[in-house]
Amino acid sequence: MTKKFYVMLSMLVLFSMVLAACGPTAVTEEPVVPTEALPTAVPAEPTQAAPEEPAMAIKACQVTDVGGIDDKSFNATAWLGMQQAATDFGAEVKYLESQQQSDYEVNINAFLEDGCDIIISVGFLLADATSAAADANPDQKFAIVDSGNSGKANVLGNASQIDQATFLAGYLAAGMTETGKVGTYVGILFPATQAFMDGYAMGVAKYNEVHGTEVEVLGWDMETQKGLEVGNFESLDDGRALGEQLLDEGADIIMPVAGPVGLGTLAVMQERGTGLLIGVDNDWSVANPDKADYILASALKKIDVFVHDAIMQAQDGTFVGGQDYMLTLENEGVGLAYGTAWESQVPAELMAEIEALIPQIVSGEVPTMPAR
Amino acid sequence: MATTTMNNTTNDIEVSEGILRQQRRRRIVMGLIFIGIAVFIWLVFVAKLERGVITTFVMTPGGASAQAGDWVFPTVPYLNAIAGLCAAIGAYQIVRGFGKRTYSALALVVILFIFSFLAWATAGGSTNLAGLLRVMVVRSVPLTIGALSGILCERAGIINIAIEGMMLMAAFVSTVFASLTHNLMLGMLSGIVAGGLLGLVHGVLSIKYKINQIISGTVINIFATGITSYLSSKYIQKVEYQYLNEPGLFPQLEVPLVSKIPFIGPILFNHNIYVFATIIFVVVLTVLLFYTRWGLRLRSVGEHPKAADTLGINVIRTRYMAVVLGGMMAGFGGTYFSLGSSGRFDELMTAGRGFIGLAAMIFGNWNPFGALGAGMLFGFFDSLSAKASLLKVPLPSEFIGMAPYLATIIVLAGVVGRSQAPAAEGIPYEKE
Repeated sequence: MTKKFYVMLSMLVLFSMVLAACGPTAVTEEPVVPTEALPTAVPAEPTQAAPEEPAMAIKACQVTDVGGIDDKSFNATAWLGMQQAATDFGAEVKYLESQQQSDYEVNINAFLEDGCDIIISVGFLLADATSAAADANPDQKFAIVDSGNSGKANVLGNASQIDQATFLAGYLAAGMTETGKVGTYVGILFPATQAFMDGYAMGVAKYNEVHGTEVEVLGWDMETQKGLEVGNFESLDDGRALGEQLLDEGADIIMPVAGPVGLGTLAVMQERGTGLLIGVDNDWSVANPDKADYILASALKKIDVFVHDAIMQAQDGTFVGGQDYMLTLENEGVGLAYGTAWESQVPAELMAEIEALIPQIVSGEVPTMPAR
Repeated sequence: MATTTMNNTTNDIEVSEGILRQQRRRRIVMGLIFIGIAVFIWLVFVAKLERGVITTFVMTPGGASAQAGDWVFPTVPYLNAIAGLCAAIGAYQIVRGFGKRTYSALALVVILFIFSFLAWATAGGSTNLAGLLRVMVVRSVPLTIGALSGILCERAGIINIAIEGMMLMAAFVSTVFASLTHNLMLGMLSGIVAGGLLGLVHGVLSIKYKINQIISGTVINIFATGITSYLSSKYIQKVEYQYLNEPGLFPQLEVPLVSKIPFIGPILFNHNIYVFATIIFVVVLTVLLFYTRWGLRLRSVGEHPKAADTLGINVIRTRYMAVVLGGMMAGFGGTYFSLGSSGRFDELMTAGRGFIGLAAMIFGNWNPFGALGAGMLFGFFDSLSAKASLLKVPLPSEFIGMAPYLATIIVLAGVVGRSQAPAAEGIPYEKE
């Protein structure tokens, strides 16, 4: 009896391990190329070598986090930057997908052996593995997306002034609301997510100042730095409930800063046939084409700009680690993208106002974060 | 002879005097709590309000067809009246006592307190009371279903902490099937089957191989988390497989006539199939468990399997049946997340609801109606904590979110009420 049981249990454990481990963990050099999700001029050529480039071609290698290469988010956008680098200056680009967190180190080591000129880790989850590898290989260039450089002289970190983009989104929302109330909520509150809501609320306040309106922000209080919080980045059901609450309170435009949780809000908007959503990080109207009618705009964080520039710097020898590359409106690393279904419906004057705000934000004339 | 009787009587009197003293003390403590709440309302809520301020409760949730006028009332007089009522209930409790109805009195005072909290937080503005209650009903669904799954298993003596995993698996399977067949009902059925199969695995591990049931449940949770996350990130989140992650949503149904009742109608009678099914399952399961031979046998297996076996009940088979049914129930609950709530699957989307369902089961004392009540209570506090942060209440919303779980711990510790788990729970049955 017990023997049989152990056999069965070990089968089960083995089975789950095999499942978790199988799939192209290691060297996946033939990607299933994301097509629709990435509106890009780059042809869907697979990775490997860039065309007809002589020996001088820089070799750039991307390690994804567990989201995989076409996660419609950071990894896919980073890959887009890699592909652009390949077309712009003939970099040789390749990537490895991480299936689980223990793969980060493995994949980075694989690229170290492969002789990559620059290794690009995608996501703050890879921060530990990257800084460990940077310590062990001080001559290797690293760049890490959405994380600081961890004080390593050979790592180029990445940060963004997303508040500049959400400021524009807030201004747009305030201009588009019919109820005089706009909403937002956050997955888990920490400084990086606070910036989203601060920018949003500042944008609404700016619109109020310019137009003498009194549009209200539900779900974020700039003074106390407190707001509506989900408590996780997973539960779409929570997103649905919060969406209902915000709609019930009269907010007709909602910006969820909570990853997939926001898709729950999108579902309830579609069900009720009311409300508009502002996506964050990537263009939600492209990622969710069936619900594009409910997506007003997205506040973009263009990881591809960072990845592209990091490779370019490594190529022309201007790469300096130990600092963070800042994505801003100025270098077009952050920005506002109108939803595919709404681009034509936003009044031209409002669009012009938003366009006019950009240089003012870049010059620092219009603050996008509350003074502290 | 005479002396013994004497002794007995004095003992009885002493014992009953002890009980009486204890009862009196509890009565007075409870009364003082009520009065404390009244004082709290006066000191914290009323004291800081301006006299003429007005509270507006919107009585129609967004998107409802039955309209109801707003409920507008002057805040201070209402709060004064509520505090007075709480104080009066407290005074009566101290002097006379509510006896068996003490807990009803407690519930009433708590409801009054929450109402006055809302009225105070809303003062000078408006809040959607109907929306709050509607969200409460919706949020109770996965918790109640999870609790029913737990009840089915545990009443037969099998601890099922794998509800979370079963739900997650069912959410995944139902998403894929519903997307492939373009049929929500088939999707739901596939989810129920998936849950049932995991229930069977749990049964085989814990009944046949007598493995510790907590371990077996944990294994299933880890397995379900791993395989769904893997398949999700590998396939259905990708653009070229997007057609596998578009199952659609069960539509909202309006119950004829009653859904037109202002206020009540939109809260209770305008939901998707899951809310109605939950109520039906609660009633059916109560009848089955407590009023049929089947239920008696199931419960006897959970309380005293040896006695049941002696009387000719097949303990093993009954337990298998219970755990598979429990798995199917959890599977049904899992499909709520994909087909009833968000219309897609994402990794870890059940977010611990299955475990909270277990808490609801304990809070509800292993009783379907209790589970429904606990689910509603938990749902209410979920809903209230969101409202509180929208109203910018100067109190971390986490504290409000915490309240139901604190209450569960208090119940578990036996401070209020008593939770009574099935006696043979968690013990594998060994036939002699």
